Amino acid sequence: MMDDNINEIPRGWQIFAQMFLILFTLLTLLPLVWMFYSSFKLQGDIMLHPMSLPKAPTVQNYIQAWKIGHMAQSFINSIVYSGIATSLTVFLAVASSFALTKFGFKSSKIYFSIFTLGLLITVNSVIAPLFFMETRIGLYNTRIGVILPYIAFGLPMAILLACSFIKGIPDSLIEAAIIDGANYLQIFWRIILVLSTPVVATIAILTFLRNWNEFVLVFILTSGEHMRSLPVSINSFAGRLNQDYGMQFAALTIGTLPMILFYIGAHNMIIKGFGEGALKE
Amino acid sequence: MVERSYKRFSYYLLLLPALVLYLSIILFPIGMSAVLSLTKWKNFQMAGFIGLGNYIKIFADPGFLRALWNNAQIMLISVLGQIPLGVVLAYVLFRKFVRGVKFYEMMIFLPITISSVVVALLWNRIFSPVGVYTYFMKFMTGNPDYILKISENPHFAMVPILFVLLWMHTSLYMVMFLANMQRIPKSSLEAAKLDGAGESVILWNIVLPALSNVIFTSSIFAISGSLKSFDLVFAMTGGGPVDYTNVMSIYLYKHTFTYNNYGYGSAVSLIIVFLSIGLIALGRGLYGRFQKKFD
Repeated sequence: MMDDNINEIPRGWQIFAQMFLILFTLLTLLPLVWMFYSSFKLQGDIMLHPMSLPKAPTVQNYIQAWKIGHMAQSFINSIVYSGIATSLTVFLAVASSFALTKFGFKSSKIYFSIFTLGLLITVNSVIAPLFFMETRIGLYNTRIGVILPYIAFGLPMAILLACSFIKGIPDSLIEAAIIDGANYLQIFWRIILVLSTPVVATIAILTFLRNWNEFVLVFILTSGEHMRSLPVSINSFAGRLNQDYGMQFAALTIGTLPMILFYIGAHNMIIKGFGEGALKE
Repeated sequence: MVERSYKRFSYYLLLLPALVLYLSIILFPIGMSAVLSLTKWKNFQMAGFIGLGNYIKIFADPGFLRALWNNAQIMLISVLGQIPLGVVLAYVLFRKFVRGVKFYEMMIFLPITISSVVVALLWNRIFSPVGVYTYFMKFMTGNPDYILKISENPHFAMVPILFVLLWMHTSLYMVMFLANMQRIPKSSLEAAKLDGAGESVILWNIVLPALSNVIFTSSIFAISGSLKSFDLVFAMTGGGPVDYTNVMSIYLYKHTFTYNNYGYGSAVSLIIVFLSIGLIALGRGLYGRFQKKFD
């Protein structure tokens, strides 16, 4: 609504701001556009005319990349890994945040800081011992062995966001439910989870994006094509297949397109989610 | 009494699944790292304790110091590049210097959805002899044989990676800062405007002070995050050529999974954890002092 009311500032600044934003937009868009149309060109065409639009568009690259990269399997794996991990992260985060904010136990503070400590630790600092552990308890190269770390690494941010939201739910609602004879699990299920919908959406989007693009865990904790996620599959085009640029462009487009479509549909929520994530840090 | 213990039971029932998972996958392995880092490995087998031997070897290895320096470069580009650019972009959008603010925000934030691996391979293509960048430079310099050689230069090999990191992450700061700018009370901005304050005064005296906390927290996360960057560098260069673009996490990866020296690798991962906690503590301390001075 206010979007079109531009600020009255000196003309020079307006032009500068305009150029600055156009530059950034082009820097974002041009590489992706180039990648997209190059994926319809064959190797020879790419080598001779790297910039030109495809003269005879072909989907040959896609067929090959799809087959050689085992993309169908990787796609399903990515959906399974990200989908299951994200829903469990959200569920566990809301449950534990309810416990941490509404029960008034002294230990809550300690547990909360233990969780937030996890914001400082990323996958790389535990990947070696995690690999070591998983090979010994038989979780190496299993789907569960990928999903569990996904959840664990999603929890700190999710709990931070969920706690600050659930804190704002009035205690009187919970007290009234207790007087009505509800137990805590019923309260969790019927009140907390229902009222938390906005924060659940934010957490789900942030966690899903993170899981979908995750690379290291799948790369190290699994072996073999049938366990790969999309990023790992695409990375395989960097090595032995790096001579065929057309196929590489096709693989990159396959990796990018679903997320770009998702972004076009949900960019308002995604941008809001990242903004909110920042407010809570 | 019964009610109290029932309450406690419910508390743990809700809390424990998350807590146990988190502890066993994140904190326990770090403890395990600490123990493993004191051990020596030979042929996939533990070969006894060597105390701090691994740590001494790591800090004596020029390869590690190079990786450390490369991480420092990433840190510098995050704090001195991404964050200031993020502030400028957010401010320009916040103050509506142009039409179509929503459009620009959406376009500039797009890379956030793309996986680092894709970004890495895409930019490798762009910088390749048949890429957009090379084509552009051929046109600009008028030299038909131009190719990008900087990645073979031992001093500047990181430059393309730093550029791509800037490309990828600047918009994240833009969105975070913009969200916080929008929480500044409208009245204080309007009052300043009525007093005849220009944009630079509003930026320096109202917006930046209101944002100082967020800028500080994001700097901290940028600093600790830069110690851990792996995906992008790994997919772009794998640390090469030689070790010109090696970073600590790739160094860790190679020693652990290529040379199978878990003890040595664990020591590296512990160094990364301690460096990041140390830098954050230092940052907090400095910020505390800075705040006291200005209050």
